[in-house]
Amino acid sequence: MHRSSWILGLFLLLPVGVEAQTAPAEQEQEIREMRARIAELEKKIEGMRADKESGQIALDTPAPADPGEQTQVAAASAPTVGEAAEPGPAQDHPAEHADPAETERPFPNLHFRGFGNLNFSATDDPTTKSGFNLGQFILHVASPISRKVSVFGEISFTAAPGSYTLDVERYLIRYDLNDYFKLSFGRYHTPINYWNTAFHHGLWLQTTIDRPEMIRFGGRFQPVHFIGMLAEGVVPSGALGLGYNLGIGNGRAGSIARAGDSGDINNGRAVVVSVFSRPRAVNGLQVGGAAYHDEISPSPALPGNPSFRELITSAHIVWSRGAPEFLTEFAHVRHQSELTNEVFNSQAAYIQFGYRLPGVARKWKPYYRFEWSNISPSDPLFAVSDPTVAVRNLAGSTVGARYDIVSLAAFKFEYRHTARNPTDPLVNGLFFQTSFTF
Amino acid sequence: MRACIKAGIGVLVGIVAGLSLVSGLPAETTTGADVAIVVNPDNNVNNLTMAELRKIFRGERQYWSSDSPIVLLMHAPGARERAVILRSVLQMSEDEYTQFWVAKIMRAEASFPPTAVFSYAMIGEGIRGNRGAIGYVSAKAVPVGLKILQVDSLLPGQAGYPLH
Repeated sequence: MHRSSWILGLFLLLPVGVEAQTAPAEQEQEIREMRARIAELEKKIEGMRADKESGQIALDTPAPADPGEQTQVAAASAPTVGEAAEPGPAQDHPAEHADPAETERPFPNLHFRGFGNLNFSATDDPTTKSGFNLGQFILHVASPISRKVSVFGEISFTAAPGSYTLDVERYLIRYDLNDYFKLSFGRYHTPINYWNTAFHHGLWLQTTIDRPEMIRFGGRFQPVHFIGMLAEGVVPSGALGLGYNLGIGNGRAGSIARAGDSGDINNGRAVVVSVFSRPRAVNGLQVGGAAYHDEISPSPALPGNPSFRELITSAHIVWSRGAPEFLTEFAHVRHQSELTNEVFNSQAAYIQFGYRLPGVARKWKPYYRFEWSNISPSDPLFAVSDPTVAVRNLAGSTVGARYDIVSLAAFKFEYRHTARNPTDPLVNGLFFQTSFTF
Repeated sequence: MRACIKAGIGVLVGIVAGLSLVSGLPAETTTGADVAIVVNPDNNVNNLTMAELRKIFRGERQYWSSDSPIVLLMHAPGARERAVILRSVLQMSEDEYTQFWVAKIMRAEASFPPTAVFSYAMIGEGIRGNRGAIGYVSAKAVPVGLKILQVDSLLPGQAGYPLH
């Protein structure tokens, strides 16, 4: 822990050096681009000069120097509904002969994006070792196949001892009727939790290094993925800005950390409903809640082979502007044994603050998160013997800072202090991550 | 638990101290002509509120009607008109705008970011050739054949027009 702390301390100083090294490179790149732009403009001027000499005019600049001759001037008295819409010969902009296809996209078209991260951790937990680990390598594909139909896919490569695991994280086709109704089929991020749908595998998107434990990768507290169909859209609600998700699907698999990709484990479909509001008057605010119901048949079977009815309710409040940033979520998980009717209730929550510093310090965003969970100790679905998959009580703080190296890559530094059960030791840890998208 | 609270208080104190150090920096300003919101003349919309405009430029409203998807045309980075839209409508910096669309596409809420255009010619032809297109240009140089929308019931040049 001690030696590792020194190593991490060196990393804390890294951004200063990186900025010093990258700034000249960026300036050089900018100068190269400006030179290319100047050359291009010079070429255009030559062309215009030649055209003028031959009696033509060709002007293709974003801001015409004398717009009155080629364009209309919008003013209070200007027509607003197409009175000047018919381009007469004297008014028409001679240069506006760009191909409309330049602003349209052929179908299908394909868009790739990737996310990646590399992590360092050092804790005083004797059961773990400090060191680096390679985060997930994520490939995200989006392909509109018509104006109203799109296909999305996401695959992950995860480092495991001796190999890499490949997983299809999302795979869906969506049909848009309009803003009020969009219907899709496939594998989703379950819209039961804000973090799960807003950031998910895009670690660069989230402010912190890791997710809150209530929705962590491979976690069992809430179902992370969902296979089936989902309707979504906005609700005509004026200033409230309401939206909804309504899904039906396979829900959890026999191993409750997984979704039933290849088929449901039983005949009880999972249903999820979520509603959120983005008030018109408060740009950046989102308030919402969700409910999820499923029947769980654990595999391998528990003694007596019970199934469980699961009801999850959740709520979130998010202020997504960077200065400040505020996220808080709460979830209640209720399991009821169909064999004994015994009920198990568990709760989890987190609250996170961040603040994008202004001015010259805008690349920095310090943050703090407190998370907490109260897990029913007798819930047979959570209280499993394997500590790596068991869902346990938690009270922990995370303090850190994010430094955006460029707009698409970041360094993150964190200190975490975590308490589990009264009999468990407190765990302190230092963490570093570089995450990026490309 | 007590240690957690102490750590939290420490962070909050740090944030406040940091803010006090960097406060007072000048805000970014942009001056110049009003920016006009322009659409195809066949579009029957005449007025948009700032809130509606924000939803359109954030990709939260994607359809004029069921048979008419909205096609957003954004100037490429560096254009003054783009800076006005980012500041007045989206209230984002250039980096935040980039990150916003990366996140939106990752969430499968959109397939691609708005089309970037590099000249008024592209705006003009792009909007005239597409009934659902919406873009923006300097109010002093609106390509002919485009319909200028009111924003909050105001036209460019009128007192209180918000995009400048």
